[in-house]
Amino acid sequence: MRQVPYKIVNNGEMALTIIFDCPISLDLCQRILFLQKKLRRSIRQYLLQSIPAYQSLTLCLNENSLDITAFITQQIKQIMSQMDHKYSFLGKAYIPKTIEIPVCYDAEFATDMRTVSEHCKLSSDEIIQLHSQTTYQVYMLGFLPGFLYLGGLDKQIHCPRKAVPAFEVMAGSVGIGGEQTGIYPVNSPGGWQIIGRTPVRLFSPSSNKPFIANPLDNVRFVVIDKQQFDKLSGQES
Amino acid sequence: MSIRFVKAGLLTTVQDSGRFGLADKGISSNGAMDSIAMQTANWLVSRPLTSPVIEITLAGPTVKFDQSMSFAVSGANFDLILNDSPIPANQTIHVNQGDKLQFGKCLSGLRAYLAFSGRIKLPKTLDSYSTHLMAEFGGFNGRALQDDDVIELADIQIPPRKILPNQYKPFYGGNYQIRITDSVESSEFSAEQMSQFLNQTYHVMPQSNRMGLRLQCDDPVIINKSILSSGLAQGSIQIPPSGQPVISSVDGQTIGGYPRIANVISADWPILAQLKAKDKITFAYVSIEQAMQIRKEKMGMYKQLWG
Repeated sequence: MRQVPYKIVNNGEMALTIIFDCPISLDLCQRILFLQKKLRRSIRQYLLQSIPAYQSLTLCLNENSLDITAFITQQIKQIMSQMDHKYSFLGKAYIPKTIEIPVCYDAEFATDMRTVSEHCKLSSDEIIQLHSQTTYQVYMLGFLPGFLYLGGLDKQIHCPRKAVPAFEVMAGSVGIGGEQTGIYPVNSPGGWQIIGRTPVRLFSPSSNKPFIANPLDNVRFVVIDKQQFDKLSGQES
Repeated sequence: MSIRFVKAGLLTTVQDSGRFGLADKGISSNGAMDSIAMQTANWLVSRPLTSPVIEITLAGPTVKFDQSMSFAVSGANFDLILNDSPIPANQTIHVNQGDKLQFGKCLSGLRAYLAFSGRIKLPKTLDSYSTHLMAEFGGFNGRALQDDDVIELADIQIPPRKILPNQYKPFYGGNYQIRITDSVESSEFSAEQMSQFLNQTYHVMPQSNRMGLRLQCDDPVIINKSILSSGLAQGSIQIPPSGQPVISSVDGQTIGGYPRIANVISADWPILAQLKAKDKITFAYVSIEQAMQIRKEKMGMYKQLWG
Protein backbone atom coordinates (compact mmCIF):
# COMPACT_ATOMS: atom_id res chain seq x y z
CA MET A 1 0.00 0.00 0.00
CA ARG A 2 1.23 3.48 -0.82
CA GLN A 3 2.78 5.71 1.81
CA VAL A 4 1.17 8.96 2.83
CA PRO A 5 3.72 11.70 3.51
CA TYR A 6 2.97 13.80 6.55
CA LYS A 7 4.56 16.34 8.84
CA ILE A 8 3.85 17.30 12.43
CA VAL A 9 3.74 21.01 13.23
CA ASN A 10 3.26 22.96 16.44
CA ASN A 11 -0.17 24.50 16.99
CA GLY A 12 0.91 26.53 20.00
CA GLU A 13 2.71 24.63 22.76
CA MET A 14 -0.43 22.75 23.79
CA ALA A 15 -1.42 21.23 20.44
CA LEU A 16 0.11 19.43 17.47
CA THR A 17 -1.26 19.29 13.94
CA ILE A 18 -0.42 16.42 11.62
CA ILE A 19 -0.58 17.61 8.01
CA PHE A 20 -0.92 15.10 5.19
CA ASP A 21 0.69 16.01 1.92
CA CYS A 22 -1.78 14.47 -0.53
CA PRO A 23 -5.10 15.45 -2.13
CA ILE A 24 -8.47 15.12 -0.39
CA SER A 25 -9.79 11.58 -0.86
CA LEU A 26 -11.90 8.97 0.87
CA ASP A 27 -8.76 6.91 1.41
CA LEU A 28 -7.03 9.79 3.21
CA CYS A 29 -10.17 10.42 5.28
CA GLN A 30 -10.19 6.76 6.40
CA ARG A 31 -6.51 6.97 7.33
CA ILE A 32 -7.03 10.12 9.39
CA LEU A 33 -9.96 8.56 11.24
CA PHE A 34 -7.97 5.40 11.87
CA LEU A 35 -5.04 7.41 13.21
CA GLN A 36 -7.42 9.38 15.47
CA LYS A 37 -8.99 6.19 16.80
CA LYS A 38 -5.60 4.65 17.60
CA LEU A 39 -4.21 7.82 19.19
CA ARG A 40 -7.29 8.13 21.41
CA ARG A 41 -6.04 4.97 23.10
CA SER A 42 -2.28 5.25 22.88
CA ILE A 43 -1.93 8.88 24.04
CA ARG A 44 -5.17 9.18 26.02
CA GLN A 45 -3.43 10.46 29.15
CA TYR A 46 -2.44 13.62 27.24
CA LEU A 47 -5.32 14.03 24.80
CA LEU A 48 -8.03 16.65 25.43
CA GLN A 49 -9.42 16.99 21.90
CA SER A 50 -8.69 15.45 18.52
CA ILE A 51 -9.93 17.28 15.45
CA PRO A 52 -9.78 15.63 12.02
CA ALA A 53 -10.03 17.83 8.93
CA TYR A 54 -9.78 17.01 5.19
CA GLN A 55 -5.97 16.79 5.21
CA SER A 56 -4.98 17.07 8.85
CA LEU A 57 -5.49 15.85 12.39
CA THR A 58 -5.09 18.25 15.32
CA LEU A 59 -4.35 16.97 18.81
CA CYS A 60 -5.04 19.32 21.73
CA LEU A 61 -3.17 18.27 24.85
CA ASN A 62 -3.70 18.77 28.57
CA GLU A 63 0.02 18.73 29.20
CA ASN A 64 3.05 18.95 26.95
CA SER A 65 6.85 18.86 27.09
CA LEU A 66 9.59 17.99 24.64
CA ASP A 67 9.46 14.42 25.97
CA ILE A 68 5.70 14.15 25.54
CA THR A 69 5.91 15.57 22.00
CA ALA A 70 8.62 13.00 21.20
CA PHE A 71 6.42 10.21 22.60
CA ILE A 72 3.41 11.34 20.55
CA THR A 73 5.56 11.69 17.42
CA GLN A 74 6.73 8.11 17.90
CA GLN A 75 3.15 6.87 18.33
CA ILE A 76 2.07 8.64 15.14
CA LYS A 77 4.98 7.15 13.22
CA GLN A 78 4.14 3.68 14.42
CA ILE A 79 0.44 3.89 13.52
CA MET A 80 1.20 5.46 10.13
CA SER A 81 3.67 2.74 9.20
CA GLN A 82 1.16 0.13 10.33
CA MET A 83 -1.27 1.60 7.82
CA ASP A 84 1.34 1.76 5.09
CA HIS A 85 2.06 -1.96 5.38
CA LYS A 86 -1.33 -3.47 6.00
CA TYR A 87 -4.83 -3.23 4.67
CA SER A 88 -6.16 -4.49 7.97
CA PHE A 89 -7.42 -1.10 9.13
CA LEU A 90 -9.86 -1.02 6.23
CA GLY A 91 -11.19 -4.46 7.11
CA LYS A 92 -12.11 -3.35 10.61
CA ALA A 93 -13.39 -0.02 9.40
CA TYR A 94 -16.80 1.33 10.29
CA ILE A 95 -19.68 0.09 8.12
CA PRO A 96 -21.27 3.22 6.66
CA LYS A 97 -24.98 3.95 6.84
CA THR A 98 -26.98 5.87 4.25
CA ILE A 99 -28.97 8.68 5.81
CA GLU A 100 -31.84 10.34 4.00
CA ILE A 101 -32.37 13.97 4.89
CA PRO A 102 -35.65 15.54 3.73
CA VAL A 103 -35.21 19.02 2.26
CA CYS A 104 -37.85 21.54 1.26
CA TYR A 105 -36.48 23.67 -1.58
CA ASP A 106 -39.53 26.01 -1.68
CA ALA A 107 -38.87 29.70 -2.27
CA GLU A 108 -39.80 30.50 1.33
CA PHE A 109 -36.63 28.75 2.52
CA ALA A 110 -34.45 28.98 -0.61
CA THR A 111 -33.52 32.62 -0.05
CA ASP A 112 -30.47 32.51 -2.33
CA MET A 113 -31.81 30.23 -5.07
CA ARG A 114 -31.88 33.14 -7.51
CA THR A 115 -28.17 33.93 -6.89
CA VAL A 116 -27.21 30.30 -7.47
CA SER A 117 -29.47 30.13 -10.52
CA GLU A 118 -27.87 33.23 -12.06
CA HIS A 119 -24.34 32.11 -11.25
CA CYS A 120 -24.78 28.54 -12.54
CA LYS A 121 -27.10 29.50 -15.41
CA LEU A 122 -29.53 26.80 -14.39
CA SER A 123 -33.20 26.87 -13.43
CA SER A 124 -34.14 26.23 -9.82
CA ASP A 125 -35.66 22.88 -10.83
CA GLU A 126 -32.35 21.86 -12.41
CA ILE A 127 -30.45 22.93 -9.29
CA ILE A 128 -32.81 20.97 -7.03
CA GLN A 129 -32.46 17.92 -9.24
CA LEU A 130 -28.65 18.09 -9.28
CA HIS A 131 -28.51 18.70 -5.54
CA SER A 132 -30.85 15.84 -4.61
CA GLN A 133 -29.69 13.15 -7.02
CA THR A 134 -26.18 12.85 -5.54
CA THR A 135 -25.11 10.52 -2.75
CA TYR A 136 -22.79 12.57 -0.57
CA GLN A 137 -19.92 11.28 1.49
CA VAL A 138 -19.60 12.46 5.10
CA TYR A 139 -15.89 13.21 5.44
CA MET A 140 -16.06 14.52 8.97
CA LEU A 141 -18.02 16.55 11.48
CA GLY A 142 -16.89 19.85 12.88
CA PHE A 143 -16.92 23.63 12.65
CA LEU A 144 -20.36 23.91 14.33
CA PRO A 145 -22.05 21.29 16.56
CA GLY A 146 -23.08 18.40 14.32
CA PHE A 147 -22.08 20.11 11.07
CA LEU A 148 -21.36 17.56 8.31
CA TYR A 149 -18.54 18.06 5.84
CA LEU A 150 -20.02 16.51 2.68
CA GLY A 151 -18.09 15.53 -0.43
CA GLY A 152 -19.59 15.08 -3.87
CA LEU A 153 -21.40 18.29 -4.83
CA ASP A 154 -22.02 18.36 -8.60
CA LYS A 155 -19.63 20.81 -10.34
CA GLN A 156 -22.53 22.42 -12.19
CA ILE A 157 -23.88 23.87 -8.94
CA HIS A 158 -20.66 25.11 -7.35
CA CYS A 159 -21.32 28.70 -6.32
CA PRO A 160 -19.16 31.20 -4.39
CA ARG A 161 -20.04 32.21 -0.86
CA LYS A 162 -21.63 35.58 -0.10
CA ALA A 163 -19.20 38.49 0.00
CA VAL A 164 -20.76 39.59 3.28
CA PRO A 165 -21.97 36.74 5.52
CA ALA A 166 -25.60 36.81 6.66
CA PHE A 167 -26.02 37.88 10.27
CA GLU A 168 -28.11 34.85 11.14
CA VAL A 169 -28.85 31.71 9.17
CA MET A 170 -31.62 29.50 10.59
CA ALA A 171 -30.83 26.00 11.82
CA GLY A 172 -31.65 23.43 9.15
CA SER A 173 -30.76 25.75 6.27
CA VAL A 174 -29.19 23.88 3.35
CA GLY A 175 -26.56 25.85 1.51
CA ILE A 176 -23.86 25.86 -1.12
CA GLY A 177 -20.49 27.41 -0.31
CA GLY A 178 -17.96 27.15 -3.12
CA GLU A 179 -17.45 23.46 -3.86
CA GLN A 180 -19.29 22.29 -0.77
CA THR A 181 -22.85 21.79 0.32
CA GLY A 182 -23.97 21.55 3.92
CA ILE A 183 -26.65 22.09 6.51
CA TYR A 184 -26.48 24.65 9.32
CA PRO A 185 -27.05 22.62 12.51
CA VAL A 186 -27.73 25.65 14.73
CA ASN A 187 -28.69 29.28 14.14
CA SER A 188 -25.45 31.05 13.31
CA PRO A 189 -23.91 33.68 11.09
CA GLY A 190 -23.00 32.25 7.72
CA GLY A 191 -21.86 32.97 4.18
CA TRP A 192 -23.33 30.08 2.24
CA GLN A 193 -26.01 30.46 -0.45
CA ILE A 194 -29.19 29.01 1.01
CA ILE A 195 -31.29 26.81 -1.32
CA GLY A 196 -33.55 24.95 1.10
CA ARG A 197 -34.25 23.80 4.62
CA THR A 198 -34.56 20.49 6.41
CA PRO A 199 -36.99 19.97 9.30
CA VAL A 200 -34.62 17.33 10.70
CA ARG A 201 -32.38 18.24 13.62
CA LEU A 202 -28.73 17.54 12.96
CA PHE A 203 -27.82 17.98 16.57
CA SER A 204 -29.91 16.98 19.62
CA PRO A 205 -27.72 17.53 22.68
CA SER A 206 -30.01 15.80 25.17
CA SER A 207 -30.65 12.72 23.06
CA ASN A 208 -28.61 9.55 23.49
CA LYS A 209 -27.73 9.89 19.81
CA PRO A 210 -26.88 13.61 19.55
CA PHE A 211 -25.47 13.50 16.02
CA ILE A 212 -27.33 12.42 12.91
CA ALA A 213 -24.34 10.92 11.10
CA ASN A 214 -20.80 9.66 11.54
CA PRO A 215 -17.81 10.20 9.30
CA LEU A 216 -17.85 7.81 6.30
CA ASP A 217 -21.68 7.63 6.27
CA ASN A 218 -23.55 8.56 3.09
CA VAL A 219 -26.17 11.28 2.86
CA ARG A 220 -28.98 11.76 0.35
CA PHE A 221 -31.30 14.75 0.19
CA VAL A 222 -34.94 13.83 -0.40
CA VAL A 223 -37.18 16.54 -1.88
CA ILE A 224 -40.25 17.34 0.24
CA ASP A 225 -42.95 20.00 -0.10
CA LYS A 226 -43.99 22.60 2.46
CA GLN A 227 -46.82 20.44 3.80
CA GLN A 228 -44.45 17.55 4.51
CA PHE A 229 -41.96 20.01 5.97
CA ASP A 230 -44.54 21.30 8.45
CA LYS A 231 -45.61 17.78 9.39
CA LEU A 232 -42.02 16.67 10.00
CA SER A 233 -41.23 19.88 11.92
CA GLY A 234 -44.13 19.08 14.23
CA GLN A 235 -42.72 15.63 14.91
CA GLU A 236 -39.28 17.03 15.65
CA SER A 237 -40.44 19.48 18.30
CA MET B 1 -31.55 25.41 49.29
CA SER B 2 -31.24 27.84 46.47
CA ILE B 3 -29.91 31.09 45.13
CA ARG B 4 -32.08 33.62 43.40
CA PHE B 5 -30.63 35.85 40.71
CA VAL B 6 -32.79 38.89 41.46
CA LYS B 7 -30.92 40.62 38.65
CA ALA B 8 -29.10 38.44 36.16
CA GLY B 9 -26.48 40.88 34.86
CA LEU B 10 -25.23 41.28 31.30
CA LEU B 11 -24.05 37.76 30.48
CA THR B 12 -24.12 35.43 33.46
CA THR B 13 -23.61 31.76 32.68
CA VAL B 14 -22.84 28.46 34.38
CA GLN B 15 -19.39 27.20 33.33
CA ASP B 16 -17.05 24.49 34.53
CA SER B 17 -13.60 23.42 33.39
CA GLY B 18 -14.92 22.61 29.92
CA ARG B 19 -16.38 20.03 27.60
CA PHE B 20 -13.68 17.88 26.08
CA GLY B 21 -13.50 15.14 23.50
CA LEU B 22 -16.27 16.42 21.23
CA ALA B 23 -14.36 18.90 19.07
CA ASP B 24 -14.46 16.31 16.28
CA LYS B 25 -18.25 16.69 16.37
CA GLY B 26 -18.03 20.46 16.07
CA ILE B 27 -18.44 21.14 19.78
CA SER B 28 -15.86 23.51 21.17
CA SER B 29 -14.55 23.11 24.70
CA ASN B 30 -16.77 25.82 26.31
CA GLY B 31 -16.10 26.26 30.02
CA ALA B 32 -14.82 29.22 32.01
CA MET B 33 -12.74 31.59 29.86
CA ASP B 34 -10.47 32.35 32.80
CA SER B 35 -9.86 28.85 34.12
CA ILE B 36 -7.40 30.08 36.78
CA ALA B 37 -9.94 32.48 38.31
CA MET B 38 -12.61 29.75 38.13
CA GLN B 39 -10.41 27.29 40.00
CA THR B 40 -9.42 29.94 42.52
CA ALA B 41 -13.09 30.65 43.29
CA ASN B 42 -13.69 26.92 43.84
CA TRP B 43 -10.59 26.66 46.02
CA LEU B 44 -11.79 29.54 48.20
CA VAL B 45 -15.05 27.70 48.99
CA SER B 46 -13.29 24.31 49.30
CA ARG B 47 -15.07 22.77 46.31
CA PRO B 48 -13.42 20.48 43.71
CA LEU B 49 -11.49 22.83 41.39
CA THR B 50 -13.37 21.79 38.26
CA SER B 51 -16.86 22.33 39.76
CA PRO B 52 -19.29 24.54 37.86
CA VAL B 53 -19.28 28.23 38.84
CA ILE B 54 -21.08 31.36 37.69
CA GLU B 55 -19.22 33.35 35.03
CA ILE B 56 -20.02 37.06 35.23
CA THR B 57 -19.32 39.53 32.43
CA LEU B 58 -18.89 43.32 32.83
CA ALA B 59 -22.23 43.95 34.59
CA GLY B 60 -22.82 41.47 37.37
CA PRO B 61 -25.90 40.03 39.05
CA THR B 62 -27.70 40.63 42.33
CA VAL B 63 -27.99 37.38 44.21
CA LYS B 64 -30.18 36.43 47.17
CA PHE B 65 -29.29 33.51 49.45
CA ASP B 66 -32.12 31.47 50.98
CA GLN B 67 -29.89 29.80 53.54
CA SER B 68 -26.53 30.29 55.20
CA MET B 69 -23.53 29.20 53.16
CA SER B 70 -20.23 30.57 51.87
CA PHE B 71 -19.28 32.04 48.55
CA ALA B 72 -16.25 33.58 46.90
CA VAL B 73 -15.60 35.84 43.93
CA SER B 74 -12.42 35.76 41.86
CA GLY B 75 -11.24 37.18 38.54
CA ALA B 76 -12.23 40.70 37.42
CA ASN B 77 -12.52 43.31 40.18
CA PHE B 78 -16.07 44.45 40.87
CA ASP B 79 -17.47 46.59 43.65
CA LEU B 80 -19.13 43.93 45.81
CA ILE B 81 -21.87 44.85 48.27
CA LEU B 82 -23.26 42.38 50.79
CA ASN B 83 -26.54 43.79 52.10
CA ASP B 84 -25.29 47.39 52.54
CA SER B 85 -21.59 46.91 53.17
CA PRO B 86 -18.69 46.57 50.78
CA ILE B 87 -16.92 43.21 50.93
CA PRO B 88 -13.66 41.98 49.44
CA ALA B 89 -13.20 39.55 46.56
CA ASN B 90 -10.72 36.68 46.65
CA GLN B 91 -11.73 35.36 50.04
CA THR B 92 -14.32 33.07 51.57
CA ILE B 93 -17.40 35.03 52.70
CA HIS B 94 -20.05 33.56 55.00
CA VAL B 95 -23.65 34.63 54.48
CA ASN B 96 -26.92 34.06 56.31
CA GLN B 97 -30.39 33.31 55.07
CA GLY B 98 -31.87 36.33 53.31
CA ASP B 99 -28.54 38.04 52.62
CA LYS B 100 -28.15 39.84 49.31
CA LEU B 101 -24.96 40.13 47.25
CA GLN B 102 -24.79 42.85 44.68
CA PHE B 103 -22.19 43.24 41.95
CA GLY B 104 -21.53 46.93 41.40
CA LYS B 105 -19.16 48.62 39.02
CA CYS B 106 -16.60 46.54 37.15
CA LEU B 107 -13.35 48.24 38.19
CA SER B 108 -10.86 46.23 36.15
CA GLY B 109 -10.82 43.12 34.03
CA LEU B 110 -13.98 41.75 32.43
CA ARG B 111 -15.00 38.34 33.82
CA ALA B 112 -15.46 37.34 37.46
CA TYR B 113 -16.30 33.93 38.88
CA LEU B 114 -18.76 33.29 41.69
CA ALA B 115 -18.53 29.96 43.51
CA PHE B 116 -20.77 28.62 46.30
CA SER B 117 -19.94 26.16 49.06
CA GLY B 118 -22.46 23.66 47.69
CA ARG B 119 -23.09 21.56 44.62
CA ILE B 120 -24.99 23.29 41.84
CA LYS B 121 -27.95 21.04 41.06
CA LEU B 122 -28.05 21.09 37.28
CA PRO B 123 -27.80 18.19 34.85
CA LYS B 124 -24.62 17.50 32.91
CA THR B 125 -25.10 17.70 29.16
CA LEU B 126 -22.55 16.00 26.93
CA ASP B 127 -20.30 15.48 29.91
CA SER B 128 -20.15 19.05 31.20
CA TYR B 129 -22.13 21.66 33.13
CA SER B 130 -20.90 24.42 30.84
CA THR B 131 -23.36 26.52 28.86
CA HIS B 132 -23.03 26.28 25.07
CA LEU B 133 -24.64 29.58 24.17
CA MET B 134 -24.81 29.18 20.39
CA ALA B 135 -26.21 25.65 20.38
CA GLU B 136 -28.33 26.42 23.47
CA PHE B 137 -27.55 23.48 25.71
CA GLY B 138 -25.80 22.79 29.01
CA GLY B 139 -25.61 25.07 32.03
CA PHE B 140 -28.94 26.60 33.07
CA ASN B 141 -31.46 25.56 30.36
CA GLY B 142 -28.81 26.17 27.70
CA ARG B 143 -28.88 29.93 28.19
CA ALA B 144 -27.53 32.87 30.12
CA LEU B 145 -29.31 33.52 33.42
CA GLN B 146 -32.30 35.87 33.40
CA ASP B 147 -33.81 37.97 36.17
CA ASP B 148 -35.39 35.83 38.91
CA ASP B 149 -33.82 32.55 37.81
CA VAL B 150 -33.23 30.24 40.76
CA ILE B 151 -30.34 27.81 41.00
CA GLU B 152 -30.73 24.93 43.44
CA LEU B 153 -27.80 23.87 45.59
CA ALA B 154 -27.16 20.63 47.46
CA ASP B 155 -24.57 19.38 49.98
CA ILE B 156 -23.94 22.86 51.39
CA GLN B 157 -20.92 23.01 53.69
CA ILE B 158 -19.52 25.78 55.80
CA PRO B 159 -15.90 25.65 54.69
CA PRO B 160 -12.84 27.11 56.42
CA ARG B 161 -12.13 30.75 55.63
CA LYS B 162 -9.41 31.28 53.02
CA ILE B 163 -7.81 34.39 51.62
CA LEU B 164 -6.02 34.44 48.27
CA PRO B 165 -2.40 35.49 48.84
CA ASN B 166 -1.48 38.74 47.12
CA GLN B 167 1.02 37.21 44.72
CA TYR B 168 -1.87 35.27 43.10
CA LYS B 169 -3.94 38.36 42.39
CA PRO B 170 -3.52 39.38 38.76
CA PHE B 171 -3.35 43.07 37.91
CA TYR B 172 -5.77 44.04 35.14
CA GLY B 173 -4.27 47.27 33.87
CA GLY B 174 -5.96 47.38 30.48
CA ASN B 175 -2.59 47.43 28.74
CA TYR B 176 -1.13 43.98 28.31
CA GLN B 177 1.78 42.21 26.74
CA ILE B 178 0.66 38.78 25.60
CA ARG B 179 3.14 36.05 24.79
CA ILE B 180 2.76 34.04 21.60
CA THR B 181 4.47 31.06 20.03
CA ASP B 182 4.55 29.06 16.77
CA SER B 183 1.33 27.97 15.12
CA VAL B 184 0.50 25.83 12.10
CA GLU B 185 0.97 28.56 9.47
CA SER B 186 3.59 30.70 11.24
CA SER B 187 6.16 29.73 8.60
CA GLU B 188 3.88 31.08 5.84
CA PHE B 189 4.59 34.58 7.15
CA SER B 190 7.85 36.31 6.23
CA ALA B 191 10.27 37.63 8.85
CA GLU B 192 9.18 41.17 7.87
CA GLN B 193 5.51 40.30 8.37
CA MET B 194 6.28 38.75 11.74
CA SER B 195 8.17 41.83 12.94
CA GLN B 196 5.40 44.07 11.57
CA PHE B 197 2.94 41.97 13.61
CA LEU B 198 5.03 42.24 16.77
CA ASN B 199 5.56 46.00 16.40
CA GLN B 200 1.88 46.93 16.44
CA THR B 201 -0.35 47.96 19.31
CA TYR B 202 -3.75 46.29 19.06
CA HIS B 203 -7.06 47.52 20.36
CA VAL B 204 -9.66 45.07 21.60
CA MET B 205 -12.88 45.50 19.61
CA PRO B 206 -16.34 45.53 21.23
CA GLN B 207 -17.47 42.60 19.01
CA SER B 208 -15.20 40.31 21.04
CA ASN B 209 -16.96 37.51 22.90
CA ARG B 210 -16.56 33.95 24.15
CA MET B 211 -16.14 32.74 20.55
CA GLY B 212 -13.26 35.00 19.68
CA LEU B 213 -11.41 38.21 20.41
CA ARG B 214 -11.32 40.73 17.61
CA LEU B 215 -8.36 43.06 17.48
CA GLN B 216 -7.57 46.10 15.42
CA CYS B 217 -4.32 47.86 14.55
CA ASP B 218 -3.20 50.63 12.20
CA ASP B 219 -0.90 48.64 9.96
CA PRO B 220 -2.29 45.10 9.69
CA VAL B 221 -0.33 42.23 8.18
CA ILE B 222 -1.94 41.26 4.88
CA ILE B 223 -1.40 37.71 3.71
CA ASN B 224 -2.91 36.40 0.50
CA LYS B 225 -2.39 32.70 0.90
CA SER B 226 -5.06 30.08 0.96
CA ILE B 227 -4.39 27.33 3.44
CA LEU B 228 -5.82 23.96 4.42
CA SER B 229 -8.58 24.19 6.99
CA SER B 230 -7.51 22.48 10.18
CA GLY B 231 -8.36 22.13 13.85
CA LEU B 232 -8.24 25.32 15.91
CA ALA B 233 -6.47 25.20 19.25
CA GLN B 234 -7.37 27.70 21.97
CA GLY B 235 -5.58 31.01 21.54
CA SER B 236 -5.01 30.67 17.77
CA ILE B 237 -4.37 34.08 16.21
CA GLN B 238 -6.03 33.96 12.80
CA ILE B 239 -5.34 36.53 10.12
CA PRO B 240 -8.41 37.01 7.88
CA PRO B 241 -8.15 38.94 4.58
CA SER B 242 -8.57 42.29 6.38
CA GLY B 243 -5.40 41.58 8.37
CA GLN B 244 -7.15 42.38 11.65
CA PRO B 245 -6.48 39.42 13.95
CA VAL B 246 -9.09 37.17 15.55
CA ILE B 247 -8.03 35.08 18.55
CA SER B 248 -10.09 31.93 18.88
CA SER B 249 -11.55 31.24 22.28
CA VAL B 250 -13.53 28.59 24.20
CA ASP B 251 -16.84 28.84 22.29
CA GLY B 252 -15.29 29.28 18.85
CA GLN B 253 -15.45 27.11 15.77
CA THR B 254 -13.46 23.89 15.92
CA ILE B 255 -12.00 24.21 12.43
CA GLY B 256 -10.58 27.34 10.84
CA GLY B 257 -9.53 28.33 7.36
CA TYR B 258 -7.51 31.51 7.91
CA PRO B 259 -3.72 31.46 8.34
CA ARG B 260 -2.59 31.51 11.96
CA ILE B 261 0.41 33.73 12.53
CA ALA B 262 0.89 32.45 16.10
CA ASN B 263 -0.92 31.05 19.13
CA VAL B 264 -1.20 32.74 22.52
CA ILE B 265 0.72 30.61 25.04
CA SER B 266 -1.44 28.72 27.52
CA ALA B 267 -0.10 30.62 30.53
CA ASP B 268 -1.64 33.79 29.05
CA TRP B 269 -5.09 32.38 28.13
CA PRO B 270 -6.59 33.71 31.40
CA ILE B 271 -5.66 37.27 30.36
CA LEU B 272 -7.67 36.81 27.15
CA ALA B 273 -10.76 36.35 29.35
CA GLN B 274 -10.15 39.74 30.97
CA LEU B 275 -9.73 41.81 27.79
CA LYS B 276 -12.44 44.34 27.18
CA ALA B 277 -13.21 46.87 24.47
CA LYS B 278 -10.51 49.56 24.16
CA ASP B 279 -7.89 47.60 26.10
CA LYS B 280 -4.53 47.70 24.39
CA ILE B 281 -2.26 44.76 23.76
CA THR B 282 1.11 44.01 22.24
CA PHE B 283 2.55 40.60 21.47
CA ALA B 284 5.92 39.13 22.44
CA TYR B 285 7.29 35.99 20.82
CA VAL B 286 8.62 33.04 22.82
CA SER B 287 9.75 29.63 21.53
CA ILE B 288 7.68 26.47 22.03
CA GLU B 289 10.18 25.30 24.62
CA GLN B 290 9.97 28.59 26.53
CA ALA B 291 6.18 28.41 26.41
CA MET B 292 6.31 24.94 27.95
CA GLN B 293 8.66 26.19 30.66
CA ILE B 294 6.45 29.22 31.47
CA ARG B 295 3.42 26.94 31.78
CA LYS B 296 5.32 24.54 34.02
CA GLU B 297 6.35 27.36 36.37
CA LYS B 298 2.86 28.80 36.47
CA MET B 299 1.18 25.46 37.14
CA GLY B 300 3.79 24.75 39.83
CA MET B 301 2.93 28.02 41.55
CA TYR B 302 -0.80 27.20 41.52
CA LYS B 303 -0.24 23.62 42.65
CA GLN B 304 1.40 25.07 45.75
CA LEU B 305 -1.73 27.09 46.46
CA TRP B 306 -4.39 24.56 45.52
CA GLY B 307 -2.56 21.54 46.93
